[in-house]
Amino acid sequence: MTTRRELLAGLSAIAGAANVLWRHEDLIVYEFDGTIEKKLPYAVVFPDGAEQVAAVVRLCNALGFAITPRGAGTGLSGGAVPAQRGVVIATARMRRILEVDPVDRVAVVEPGAPNIQLTEAAAEHGLFYAPDPSSQKACTIGGNVAENAGGPHCLALGVTTNHVLGIEVVTADGEIVWLGGRTMDAPGYDLRGGFIGSEGTLGVVTKVVVRLLPVPESVVTLLGIFNSVEEASVTVGAIISSGLIPAAIEMMDRVTLQAAEAGLQCGYPADAGAVLLVEFDGIPEVIESQATAARAACFEAGASEVRVARDAAERERLWKGRKGAIGALGRIAPNYYILDGVVPRSRLVTVMAGVDEIVSRYGLQVANVFHAGDGNLHPCVVFDERVPGTLERVLAAGAEIMKVCVDAGGSLTGEHGVGYEKNKFMPWLYSEVDLENMGRIRAVFGNHGRFNPCKLLPAGSGCGEMAHNDAAMRAAGPDAYV
Amino acid sequence: MASDGSHSFWPIPADAPAKDDLSRCVHCGLCVNACPTYAITGLETESPRGRIYLARAVDEGHIPLTAAVQGHWDLCLQCRACEAVCPSGVPYGRLMEHVRAQVAAKPPTGGKMRRLRRFGLRNVVARPRVLAAAVWPVRLWAAFPLRGLLRRSGLLRKLGRLGVIESQLPARLGRPFRPGDATPAANPGSAPIVLFTGCIMGEVFGDVHRATARVLTRAGFAVEATVGQGCCGALSAHDGDLEFARGLARDNIDALERTSPATIVNNSAGCGTALKEYGDLLAGDPGYADRARQFSARVKDFSEVVAAAGIPAGRFAKRVTYQDPCHLAHAQRVRNQPRALLGALAGISVVETPGGDMCCGAAGLYSLVQPAMSASLRTRKAEQFKKFAPEVIVTANPGCQMQYEAAVCEAGIQARVMHLAEVLDEATGGGRTD
Ligand SMILES: Cc1cc2nc3c(=O)[nH]c(=O)nc-3n(C[C@H](O)[C@H](O)[C@H](O)COP(=O)(O)OP(=O)(O)OC[C@H]3O[C@@H](n4cnc5c(N)ncnc54)[C@H](O)[C@@H]3O)c2cc1C
Ligand code: SF4
Ligand code: SF4
Repeated sequence: MTTRRELLAGLSAIAGAANVLWRHEDLIVYEFDGTIEKKLPYAVVFPDGAEQVAAVVRLCNALGFAITPRGAGTGLSGGAVPAQRGVVIATARMRRILEVDPVDRVAVVEPGAPNIQLTEAAAEHGLFYAPDPSSQKACTIGGNVAENAGGPHCLALGVTTNHVLGIEVVTADGEIVWLGGRTMDAPGYDLRGGFIGSEGTLGVVTKVVVRLLPVPESVVTLLGIFNSVEEASVTVGAIISSGLIPAAIEMMDRVTLQAAEAGLQCGYPADAGAVLLVEFDGIPEVIESQATAARAACFEAGASEVRVARDAAERERLWKGRKGAIGALGRIAPNYYILDGVVPRSRLVTVMAGVDEIVSRYGLQVANVFHAGDGNLHPCVVFDERVPGTLERVLAAGAEIMKVCVDAGGSLTGEHGVGYEKNKFMPWLYSEVDLENMGRIRAVFGNHGRFNPCKLLPAGSGCGEMAHNDAAMRAAGPDAYV
Repeated sequence: MASDGSHSFWPIPADAPAKDDLSRCVHCGLCVNACPTYAITGLETESPRGRIYLARAVDEGHIPLTAAVQGHWDLCLQCRACEAVCPSGVPYGRLMEHVRAQVAAKPPTGGKMRRLRRFGLRNVVARPRVLAAAVWPVRLWAAFPLRGLLRRSGLLRKLGRLGVIESQLPARLGRPFRPGDATPAANPGSAPIVLFTGCIMGEVFGDVHRATARVLTRAGFAVEATVGQGCCGALSAHDGDLEFARGLARDNIDALERTSPATIVNNSAGCGTALKEYGDLLAGDPGYADRARQFSARVKDFSEVVAAAGIPAGRFAKRVTYQDPCHLAHAQRVRNQPRALLGALAGISVVETPGGDMCCGAAGLYSLVQPAMSASLRTRKAEQFKKFAPEVIVTANPGCQMQYEAAVCEAGIQARVMHLAEVLDEATGGGRTD
C-alpha cells in the first residue's frame, strides 16, 4: 500500500517540492471549481512543460492514483473537481504565450494562459482570438480546449474547436503526442477534434496552436429593451429567420439585469422584463443596414426602447454587464446552480415557460442569461446551500429542466460540458452502444478509469456522491495511507 | 459546506468577518487574474477566491486557523483589485480587515512582530510629535552629502530591510506640512475647502501638500489645513486594529465637523479611502454612525475636486506615465480624472504601461513585512519603466511614490517621481504665490 509520503516524494522529485501542495489548508482551495461540487485531492502538483506532466501522469498511474487536470477552476460542470481524490495537475506554471505569428495568423500558447492574455497578445497585431467565454478574464486556454468553450461571439464564428489548429497532449498513459498541426485540416483521422471537448478525460493539453482573425473594421452594438422574455425570444427568431447574421445575440431576464446593474453599473434598465444585446461587425455600410433591420425587428416584437452604443466605451460597458452577470448573482444568494441546455430556437418560448413552471413548483428562484442566438440557455437557480434541504431541491429541479431541454429536441450542454453533474443524464441522449463507443475512445488514449474519473460518461463504481467535507483528511498528515 | 461545521477551532473575536460578507463569494474566479499575488505565484491559496474560501472554512470550523492559513492572508496586499472586478460585490477590503482582526486576536505565528507593529502604529504613527521626532534622523540622513555616492556604490542595498527603506526615500525630504500651517491667500468669495494632512504624508511629503494647496487655490478654493485633525487610521485598520482605527476616526470627525459642509480633500489614496469609509467603520457606533456617514460624504480625492472645478491652462512638456494608486483606482474607483488632468496639459505625452493599475508592492507597511513579494512587484514596475523610459512617473499616494523611487533606482533610469499635485502645480505656475 502506498503512503502519501511516497506520492509526495515522487511528485516533488519531478516538479520540485515547492510545486507540490499537500497540507489540508492548502488543498482545500483546490476542492472546488465554479460549481457547488467539492472534493479534496491528496495533492496538487504544478508541473512545467510536457515532460514533467508526462512524468507525473506515469507516476500516478504506477502508484494507482486518479488524476484530474485543472486550469483556472472556473468550470461550470465540476470537471476540475477531483471526484476520486487523487492528484490534481494544475497548469498555473504553464501560462506563457510562446508565439504570435501575424503573417500566418496563428499563436502558440501554453495551456495555463488565461484566455484574456491571448486576446491581448493578439490585439497588439490587430488580430483577435474569437472564442470569448464570459469568464475569459480568468479561464485558461487549456480549460477552453477541454470544454470546447463558446462565448457570445461564437454565434457567427464558431466555438473553440473551430479555432484550434493543433494541440500537444500528454495522454492518459503518459505519452506526449501532437494532434493536428499549424494548418486547418491535417490529413488522417481528426483526433484533435475528438480531444477538444473531452473534458480532461483523455489527457492533459500542454500546448495549443490557435487561429487568429483580423479585428473587424467596425462594430455596432444594440441594446433592445423588452417587457418580457417572451417578446425578446420572438425577436431572436425574427432576426435569425430574416437572414441577418449578427456576431452575437445575448439575452438577460429581469433578475439577472438587476443583479448585473447593481454589481457593475453598466447602464441597464433595471425595470425591464428582459434585454437583448445584439452586435454586428464587418464593413460599416453593411452593418449599418443590418443594425437598422434588427432595430425594426425589436420594435416589431414590442420593444419599449432600443439603444445603440455610441462609442467603444459604451459598448464595453454593455458587455461588461453581460460578462459579469453570472458572478453578479452572488448579490442575490450565496450559491447558484447554472444549467446549460441547448434548445432549437423555435422552442425557446415554450422551454422558458417550462423552466419557470419547474422552478416555482420547487419554490426556487431562477435568473436567466443566455446565448439566445444559439438557443443556448443558462437558467441559474440561485439559493443558499446552508438552508437544509435546499441543495436537494435545486438538484432535482435542475434535472427536470435538463429533461425539458432534451425533450424539446435539444441537448444537455452548449458549452459548459457534461462533467460530473450531468453525466447521469447522458442516456437520455445516447444509446448504450453510443456510450460504449465513447468509452473505447478513452481506452485508446490510455484512460482505464483513473483519468479524471466520474466525468462526462455515466459513472461506474467508485463515483458516489462527492462528499462535501472529508473529516479523515483533516487529520491526515503526509504519512496517512491512501 | 458540510453540516458538521458547528464547532469552531478558534475563538471568534468581535471584529471577525461577517457571515454575509463571506458567503457572498460564489467562487466564480473572475477576480483571480486581477490579483498581484496570484499573478506572481499562480497559486489559488494566494488568490482572492482562495483567501475568502479559507476565511469561510475557518469561520465554519472546517479548518483551524493555522500558521499556513495566516501566511496566505498575510501575503495579501489589501490592494482591492479583486474587489473592483468582483461582479458579486464581495466587500473584500472590509473582509480582509476583519480577517486580520481575527488573526490579531490569537496569531498562530509572528505574534511578536505583530505586537511591535501595533505598538508603532498606535504610539508613533498616530502621534504627530512622536512621528516628527522619529522622522527627524531620516531627514538628516536624506540631506547627508555622501548619500548619493553610497547609494550608487550599492553598499546600501546590502542592508536588508533597512536598505529597502533607504532606496524608497526621496532624494530630498521637503519641509513638513502640518495642520494649521499657512496656505496661499485665496480670492475673496472662494469656496472653503479642508486639506487633510495625514500622518507620514505631512512629515515626509510636505512639498506635496504645499503644491496641493496652490493648485486648489488656483482652482478657486480657499484652502485650510484645519487644526485638530490627525492620522486617518488606515494603517491600523489594514492591520486589523479596528478598535484603534475607530478611535482615530472619531477624533477626526470631532475635529472637522465644524467645517461642514466644506469638502475634505485628500491627496493620499490610502487615507482618502479610509475617510470615505468612516461611515462603514463606525456603522455600529450609535453616537457616531450618522455623523460618520455625513463626514464620509464630504471627502473627495484631490483629482476629483480639481477635475470638476477646472484649473488655468498649464504646460508640462515631458513624457510621463501615470501609475494608479490601488486605493484610488480600485477602492475609490477614481481612474479617469488624473488622466484627464494630465492629458489637458500642453506639451505633455502620457504613456500607459501594461499593469499600470497593478499594485507596486508598497501597500502601506507591506514592503517591510513581506519584502520578497513586494520586491517582485516592484521589479515588474521597474521592467516597464525601463521599456517605456518615461521622464516622469506620476502617482497620487506617498507609499507608491516611495516605491517608485526604488523602482527607478532598480531600473537604472533617469526619471523623476512626482505626485499629480506637483505636476499640476509646476505646470500652472509652480511655487510662486499668486
Ligand atoms: C462567470 C462564468 C462565466 C462563464 N461563461 C462561459 C461562457 O460564456 N462560455 C463557456 O464556454 N464557458 C463559460 N464558463 C465556464 C468555464 O469558464 C469554461 O468551461 C472554461 O473553459 C473553463 O476553463 P478553466 O481554465 O477554468 O478550466 P477548469 O474549470 O479548471 O477545468 C475545466 C475542465 O477542463 C479540464 N482541463 C483544464 N485544463 C486542462 C488541460 N490543460 N488539459 C486537459 N484538460 C484540462 C479539467 O479537467 C476540467 O474537466 C463560465 C464560467 C463562469 C464562472
Ligand atoms: S471574490 Fe467575487 S469575483 Fe472573486 S471568486 Fe468570489 S465572487 Fe467571484
Ligand atoms: S486585495 Fe489585492 S492582493 Fe489581496 S486578494 Fe485582492 S487583489 Fe489579491
